Amino acid sequence: MKKTLALLLAVVMVLAVLAGCGPQGTTEPTGSGTEGTNPPEGTQGTEGTQAPEGPSTYTYNDSMSSIPANWNPHTYQTSDESVPLDYTIDGFYTLFYNDELHPVDGVDPYAGYQIVPAMAADFPVDVTEEIKAAHPEFNIPESATSGYAWKFQLRDDLKWDDGTPIHAEDFVGSLERVLRPELLNYRQSDYYNGSYAVANAKQYALSGQPVFQSFVDMGTTYADYLANGGSDEDVVLDMNGFWSVKAADKRDFGYITDDTMVRDPAVAEGEDEDYVSAKYLWDNYIGPEGYYGSQNSAYTDTYAGTVYYPYEAGYSFDNVGLFASGENELTFVFKNAVDGFYLMINALTVPLVKIDLYDSLLQETETASGSIWNCTYNSNLQTCASYGPYKLSDYQTDKSMHFVKNENWYGWNSGIYQYVDPEDGQTYDMYQTTDIDIQYVQEAATRKQMFLAGQLIGYGLQAEDFEQYRSSEYCYATPGQAIFGLVCNGYLKVLQQRESAADFDKTTTDLETMTVLNFRKALAVSVDRDLMAATVSPARSGGYGLIGTVYIVDPETGALYRDTDQAKQGLCDFYSIDVADYNGDLDAAVDAITGYDPETAKELFTQAFQDALDAGYVTDADGDGKCDQTVTMQYAISADSDFMTKTINYLNESIAKCAEGTPFEGKIQIIKSAPLGDPGWSDAIRNGTADCVLAGWSGAALDPYGFADTWTGENAYWNAWFDPTAVEHTITIDGEEITMSLRDWALCLQGEMTVDASGTERNFGYGQTSVDNRLTILASIETAIMGTYNTLPMLADGGMSLLSQKVFYVVDEYSPMMGRGGIQYMKYNYDDAEWDAYVASQGGTLQY
Amino acid sequence: MLKYTLQRTLYMILVFFIITLMCFILIRMLPLPALPPEDVHTEIVMMRREALGYNEPYLVQFWIFLKNIFTKWNWGLSEKLYYGQDVWQIFVGKLPATMIVNLYSIIWSIPVGVSLGVFAALKKNTWIDYFLSTATMVVISVPSFVYAFLIQYIFCYKLQWFPFLMKGGSDYFSLPMFLSMVPPVLSLSFGVIAGFTRTTRAELTEVLTSEFMLLARTKGLTKAQATVRHALRNCFVVIVPGIFGEFIGILGGSLIIEGIFGIPGVGGLTLNAIRGLDYNIFMLSTCFYTAIGLAASLVVDVSYGFIDPRIRMGSKK
Repeated sequence: MKKTLALLLAVVMVLAVLAGCGPQGTTEPTGSGTEGTNPPEGTQGTEGTQAPEGPSTYTYNDSMSSIPANWNPHTYQTSDESVPLDYTIDGFYTLFYNDELHPVDGVDPYAGYQIVPAMAADFPVDVTEEIKAAHPEFNIPESATSGYAWKFQLRDDLKWDDGTPIHAEDFVGSLERVLRPELLNYRQSDYYNGSYAVANAKQYALSGQPVFQSFVDMGTTYADYLANGGSDEDVVLDMNGFWSVKAADKRDFGYITDDTMVRDPAVAEGEDEDYVSAKYLWDNYIGPEGYYGSQNSAYTDTYAGTVYYPYEAGYSFDNVGLFASGENELTFVFKNAVDGFYLMINALTVPLVKIDLYDSLLQETETASGSIWNCTYNSNLQTCASYGPYKLSDYQTDKSMHFVKNENWYGWNSGIYQYVDPEDGQTYDMYQTTDIDIQYVQEAATRKQMFLAGQLIGYGLQAEDFEQYRSSEYCYATPGQAIFGLVCNGYLKVLQQRESAADFDKTTTDLETMTVLNFRKALAVSVDRDLMAATVSPARSGGYGLIGTVYIVDPETGALYRDTDQAKQGLCDFYSIDVADYNGDLDAAVDAITGYDPETAKELFTQAFQDALDAGYVTDADGDGKCDQTVTMQYAISADSDFMTKTINYLNESIAKCAEGTPFEGKIQIIKSAPLGDPGWSDAIRNGTADCVLAGWSGAALDPYGFADTWTGENAYWNAWFDPTAVEHTITIDGEEITMSLRDWALCLQGEMTVDASGTERNFGYGQTSVDNRLTILASIETAIMGTYNTLPMLADGGMSLLSQKVFYVVDEYSPMMGRGGIQYMKYNYDDAEWDAYVASQGGTLQY
Repeated sequence: MLKYTLQRTLYMILVFFIITLMCFILIRMLPLPALPPEDVHTEIVMMRREALGYNEPYLVQFWIFLKNIFTKWNWGLSEKLYYGQDVWQIFVGKLPATMIVNLYSIIWSIPVGVSLGVFAALKKNTWIDYFLSTATMVVISVPSFVYAFLIQYIFCYKLQWFPFLMKGGSDYFSLPMFLSMVPPVLSLSFGVIAGFTRTTRAELTEVLTSEFMLLARTKGLTKAQATVRHALRNCFVVIVPGIFGEFIGILGGSLIIEGIFGIPGVGGLTLNAIRGLDYNIFMLSTCFYTAIGLAASLVVDVSYGFIDPRIRMGSKK
């Protein structure tokens, strides 16, 4: 009986499980023809791609190693998080390839681009004079006649994906929310910093926030401040400026009466001054009894001061430079003059949010210091709103996202989004893609298998794939923005401090030699860049300048910086290539640059040894002409990786080979630091506690001029030991020799008024001089910075990827502005049904 | 038994509180990620940290944390991984995927593992026993992610029997979902099967040589009857707590397996929270697993009394 019952129970359980297996009414997110996603009329499929039944679906299958959980335009932080915005938002203007519908004089079809109004109904109108007269609250300079205020007419058919109309007030309300002080939105500083800062946005966003003001800034001294009734209780010290540490409350400044100790990361734990406080620094250095203070040094009045509140509490948003001048008309007022073309390019995105939804998701939470506001706008299907070509249709946290066409997007019926195919000359609608499916795929191995099985549109090649796929017709190389230079430690003071540590053996190891110029020059010519790239990172290539190949110097023509004569001549000058040896052919001269010269390296190493010997950095006790010490450079690693190992090994081998037969034979080594994390590695380079790293900067493709500011600014890796304000630099502009500091050159290139050595005011900002002159200045600064050998250009960033046979690019050539057209221009060889059939016919695995 | 259970429960609550306090303070003692000075967003991040109370004394922060939980069941909002979202909702939303995959794995692994163990014990010192013992050692020694990659390559890529990733959605009992869970379930199973095989074989081998087994046979039971009714039952004193432990492990998830097969579960949530210093997610997952762990140890200890009358009788003395 028991057995019978047990058997019966088992049968019932099995049946129950089987009954549970079956559709539960949930939708399959991938490859769907979801309701409401039919392509609009006029959308043309590729010839010969008719689906058997109903409208064809063209799904763009992508993968990510982390599915965005927050794409709120006010708070997203990473590029991964912004991916959904690529599909769900739109800009005032957009870029199209130049073709028959969008011709550009003198430019071959698809070799350039044209800017086209998108959400804007027309091009912006400069209303600076009008606004200056009517709105003094925006503080437009009296002398300004243009560039500060712009009027945008919006289309009158803009809608959210649920059909709600979008008007000018929505943009104003969105900007108010991104800047609202209590919300502390991550993106708020985008709208009050930089070249496109909105007038008075900072005053509104930071209203009530304290700011440090030194006695020098105040036009007084510490002594006068006390004499006039000031109190030490109110005096603060700029700890970050003076000692490169933050105060305990994480601000840059601390009250001089505050003895809360904070860690100085530049000093080893247990050493003197590994912890300091504002009071300590004041008592020992800056204050009247301190080292500098007792000598009446200017340091006291430079680094000490008081806190003030420049941003009036309760500042009204009415004073911020954006207002609706009509139902569908916006007026922007900027802090600085903005060129119309740059404005349109950079105003492509705006922080527009659906205000009723946004406000309903705002939430205040109690914290230990009061409260904090959060908003979950754009964090899942329920909180997402779209005004772009696609809308979110399915979302699962950490799993997948699916987008379908947004039928309420004006673009489907506006007639704007069309192009002429360069192959067949036919006119097509853009956005052939009907669905976008993004899956979470963590492992590269899985991505590769899925790609080969036809389940993904693209696959970024890994190091082990290059050999097999780099020559595939489906493989595309994409240049990166950054040039990685080998940054070399020149912070002699810190190097000497490190050498004085108790456990440092000066008889066998040396650090100071790495500051010797000839030593750095020798390192620079010891590495075959192209071979290095092929060895350690095949998708990259050799790097020779500090600015990469994708930067545009003239947005109107799309001219690339590295293609200009000035940039080429700069490289030739730096690498001592005489153009005359190449019959004046600058291109041939540049092509001849390798940056690798073992013979010169040996000469420079020998000279460097003598320099180091003379300076007392190294010894040759036995007089054998060999260095007694090993110059040991610690490579700052963020985290250990195969790439790091390969890079350091390659550098060591190259340098050792070039040092053979010199006093440094076998006496130079690069070693890995402990994993320092990010930005720990860059901090270590900046404060001299690590000695070298491959690092570089990338920036806006349209603004290579900003690099001059970066190289000479306070955040340059070498800022602690290289003072660009003390380097006089002469450049010939329009036949006139102009001399000023490297820093001043960089500033006037950004549009700041500077004074040259002759006392003449100079401004070489955009629109203030010719593009040619600006190029000359930029190339000269680049060459001058390379000449410091603080960084030795090594690798140009880049990547390679495979593109699925399902799709193809309208243009194979990569353009810094257009990429390869993106999803806007992507065309399909197969619709989803045909693709599945094709993959099956290939046995489920495709050959690339 | 009741007194013992109550006593253990009180201790459990005390230990839970101490662990929670320690974790709360330790995670906050980790330095927050340094902010790049050149980034224009650095200033606002610092202001946010200030507003979040990160600069307040730890005990003040802990008090607010406890107050929000006990008065509003509010575990706080995620500040980093799931910006602004309720961490409880995130955690609860991710738990089912982990549970279902682990449940399938255990449902399949335990009978197979125990059966193989019994088989090996009955065939002791034969080639079958040697083969199973060796295979068990090999399987236990190899990490589960190795099987995951192999299974994905063979069954998903080469043979195309299963999808590469677990299916999306919450239809956990549909056939497509079940099929998509087969590769991760298999990957998770190898280790569990090997573990139970080894334990069962070791215990049963010992029990089979006991004198009461001889008695059972002499009183007329067949070998199968003696094994099932007497030997196996004795083995279960060791095996059943192991089964309890595996069921508790259902909630834990696997960082690597979930990553490889795209399972939107809780595996790795704690680690990611530590990496991202997302305090509230870390605290919720820590409290959850601490509570589960403590409860599990209590259940296992109490279960001994139910499984083995000798232990129950002993506790009455």
